[in-house]
Amino acid sequence: MAEALILDAEAVNALAHPLDRKVLAARASAVLSHALERRALVRVPVPVLAEVCRGTRYDSAVNHLLNNPGVGVCDLNRIIAQQAGHILARAKLSSAHAVDAFVVATALQFDAAVIATGDPADIRRLAAPFGRIGILAL
Amino acid sequence: MSQPAAKLSVSVPGELASAVRKRVGSRGLSGFVARAMAHELEREGIRVLLGELEQKLGAPSKADLARARKAWPKR
Repeated sequence: MAEALILDAEAVNALAHPLDRKVLAARASAVLSHALERRALVRVPVPVLAEVCRGTRYDSAVNHLLNNPGVGVCDLNRIIAQQAGHILARAKLSSAHAVDAFVVATALQFDAAVIATGDPADIRRLAAPFGRIGILAL
Repeated sequence: MSQPAAKLSVSVPGELASAVRKRVGSRGLSGFVARAMAHELEREGIRVLLGELEQKLGAPSKADLARARKAWPKR
């Protein structure tokens, strides 16, 4: 199975609006470049879209990013959703962190993954038991 | 529902064709080629995205690239 770079909401926003978020976008660009070198897939878990889509005018930049054939959207399915619930329970976090848990559960669908995130504390806590997930704080 | 298949006729180096046939057999050839094409299309997309970002931000710094490299789990 493949390796993947998983983008959370902050990473998607940084890549979609690089001039508004220059520092974050530069870091996201670096990890994207390294992902290409490693032949890793680039994926956005579908629940992240609920955090970044805010109306037609704002969405055009996000849609431009997601229409790139290199950026795939990972659908949510029963396995990932149930795994996300287990991850939340293990980390003793409430469902207020459900999207973060979906991000971690999506990363677990790959042999190895890095999550590029603007919220490293919560993602680290959720991903702590899983050695095959790395975290890149943007 | 799967999409209708398109037939393609392509030319590849003979040694490469033999190596792939040996690996996947003649029945697995279409699936292998489709996966390879999809993967290359994705990589090309990332190259385009990186080009757009570089135009706006410049090339990634060595420090950011080093951080990115270190973030990957050891295997």
